[in-house]
Amino acid sequence: MRKLRVTLMAGLFLVAFLVSGPAQTIGGPSSPARQELRVGFIDDTYILEGERASLGMFPLNANILESLTSLNSKYEVKPLLAERWEFRPPNTWRFFLRRGVQFHNGQPFTARAVKEMFNRIARRPGGGGIKAGPDSTTIVDDFTVDFTPLVPNIRIPEQLVTWHYHIRAPGSEIGQGRRPIGTGPFRFVQYLRKERIIVERNPSYWGPKAKLERIVFSFFPDSSARRLALEAGNIDFAFEVPRPDVKSLKAKGFKIVTSSVGTYRALYANVRSRAPYDLLADVRLRRAIAHSIDRKKLVTGVLEGLATTDQTMVPPSVLGNFAFLVQGFSYDAAKARALLDEAGWRPGSGGIREKGGRRLKLVLVSGYPVAELHRPVPAFLQAELKEVGIEIEIVERPDIPSYQALINSGEGDLYLEEGNQSDANPGFLPYFLFYTGGDYTVYQRLFGPGQKFDELLAPSLTEVEMSKVRKAVAEAMHEIIDEQAVVIPLVGLYRIYSMKKSVQGFLPHPVYFNVRWDTVSLAD
Amino acid sequence: MNYYFLGRCVLIVPTLLGISFLAFGVAALTPGDPAEEILRRTTDRPPSEAEVAQLRRELGLDRPIPVQYVVWAGRAARGNLGISFATRRPVIGEILHRIPASLQLAIPAAFLALAISIPVGIISAIHRNRLVDQMVRICSLAGASIPSFWLALLLIIFLAVKLSLVPVAGRVGASSVLLPALTLAVTPAAVLARFTRSAMLEILGEDYIRSARAKGLPERLVVGRHALRNALLPVITAFGTSLGHLISGAVVIESIFAWPGFGKLALDSILQRDYPMIQGYVLFTGVIFVALNLIIDLSYTRIDPRIRFSGGFIRDAAR
Repeated sequence: MRKLRVTLMAGLFLVAFLVSGPAQTIGGPSSPARQELRVGFIDDTYILEGERASLGMFPLNANILESLTSLNSKYEVKPLLAERWEFRPPNTWRFFLRRGVQFHNGQPFTARAVKEMFNRIARRPGGGGIKAGPDSTTIVDDFTVDFTPLVPNIRIPEQLVTWHYHIRAPGSEIGQGRRPIGTGPFRFVQYLRKERIIVERNPSYWGPKAKLERIVFSFFPDSSARRLALEAGNIDFAFEVPRPDVKSLKAKGFKIVTSSVGTYRALYANVRSRAPYDLLADVRLRRAIAHSIDRKKLVTGVLEGLATTDQTMVPPSVLGNFAFLVQGFSYDAAKARALLDEAGWRPGSGGIREKGGRRLKLVLVSGYPVAELHRPVPAFLQAELKEVGIEIEIVERPDIPSYQALINSGEGDLYLEEGNQSDANPGFLPYFLFYTGGDYTVYQRLFGPGQKFDELLAPSLTEVEMSKVRKAVAEAMHEIIDEQAVVIPLVGLYRIYSMKKSVQGFLPHPVYFNVRWDTVSLAD
Repeated sequence: MNYYFLGRCVLIVPTLLGISFLAFGVAALTPGDPAEEILRRTTDRPPSEAEVAQLRRELGLDRPIPVQYVVWAGRAARGNLGISFATRRPVIGEILHRIPASLQLAIPAAFLALAISIPVGIISAIHRNRLVDQMVRICSLAGASIPSFWLALLLIIFLAVKLSLVPVAGRVGASSVLLPALTLAVTPAAVLARFTRSAMLEILGEDYIRSARAKGLPERLVVGRHALRNALLPVITAFGTSLGHLISGAVVIESIFAWPGFGKLALDSILQRDYPMIQGYVLFTGVIFVALNLIIDLSYTRIDPRIRFSGGFIRDAAR
């Protein structure tokens, strides 16, 4: 009886291992290669089924698929699968496709694949961001495609850089265990859900062949584990290194590579809600807040010196020669106090200002994309604003849906967000968030800066010449930041990548899904 | 015993109904709109209010919460747990794919916890109030109190980074089980050690133990055959609860060690407001705990023959 029990228990133990085959798997294993790079990424949030399937594309771009255009690290649009393009008034874009390109399954890349991509976008509500319709795409010949969006859209080439417009082999779909088939410098090998995705060099790539033979991307949701995996030698390269870890990694001999600024952190002021969230309707209060924040101290003391004091929100490189139009706010506590005095807020009990019996207390909602990302910036802001007599109540939201619920309800005065410029359209962020008639109506309800901002931004939607677009956007940002202080930028941020010294040729990109791996190699 | 077993099986249904209704209600009351979250994650621009409303209608989220629950419960009764909002795949498939990974950690962790806690608890009880007993009590208190994420990182630094004995994280071969299983085992080992000690102390004071010693039986037989078996009942009960937590609740450990298990699935589902998956997780966890409790209860008669099943209850025949 005893033997039976022991045997049963041992069997149970064994079964646990036998039944635990690999998680959801697509593709098969391949043998290790000499030039094999092991990359640690953040969590696996690939969508595997349906129209919005993103395996191999987002948030981790494994360089399997490509778009018509690409975005370099300076936010310049470059030809990729389209060699060139031209705008044909009133509203058509003609793309001239690259010849001699093959998909990984041997199919030639022609206009048919491009049309399938546009038709896929057309099936989305409203035709997606490029406003594609079912009849928007015309095949002129095998290597020429016309695209006419449903509404005038001058920014098509800038928008096509994102992963939504990646081109798949005709007839191929992602999902149901099928692998993504593209034209990229790497082709799909294997995917284990929540564990890793493996790609190998595409020997038939139309451009310079990748130096690496194979890349194994492993998913590490926890940033500490990801960093430790790098230190232990389990991986060669790590995305998203936390700022406090940078110094120690450098001391241990790892390379730290940073991109240009492409991300910002800012406060948005709720200017349109009713009581009790109506205090920031007064521009003097908003300006006082903007002047109360010592951004240099924020960068050096809180963010380990790994940020910039840029206050443009749109990356300076995107605004180009017109970045100077957005000045931002100097740290000037005396000026902040003077503005508050002028607005009638007098020092009250506990150092907090009062007016008509009401305390100057504001609710700061921290949570986009997650509250954890922003810590301890809310506490820093709370301390800074207390110095001038403003009390801040910090409300943290652990995830986007719960943060969004507070946006929808308008129950907050200041909202702390981190945003990223993810395509080459200079007007992408202001149009996306604040433009009346833009996509994010709920943001316009709370933060809408009004008619003058719309009038300044409008040319960027219709102007073909990029310098005029940049000027229009810069002027609009000057209005929303410098004049109205609806957006109070805090810092500009860049991506931080860490790797072994043997990793060569990596070009840091401010946008994750535009990172290219074909220039990377491993030194012996 | 058959009546007892049948009675317990019948009780499963209202138990699971109650758990799932509570979970449904809590999830529905949590701030955040699943439809908006799905569209935000999957489109190249923020969704309009009309699009969110349309998706809510498609997913049945526009109906009152009790109606949504009844529809879900009806489907669940037929074995259909719905489609995950996040992955667009059947919930049951997603769960079944993740359970084996969790078992890969939970079972070794459970065995490790038992292998440590029972001998340690016995030794502590035998040497009551001596140095070894004090050490065991301090260690078990520390083990039960240490945050698992902190312990995990400590073990990673020491065993994986400094000594390079095992990988830091990820499911990459048999050796990758060691760290997460060890981390998982610490808390139940500490708790079970204390249970074992308490139970043994109670039993070692009984008259029949004194008789056994008076008869001249070796101490190892007194402890191993007479005392331990009687002390096991509360320990086994606690073990069953621990095992349930190990299988379904290792959220932090699975996140840190990048282990694609059931607990991480629950965390992702909550963050994504994936209601069908949350419900599926709760239901499955309920089934796991109910099944484990039933197995534990049925095992009582094996451990203590004095216990009988009578009229749907467990009765101690000696009382």
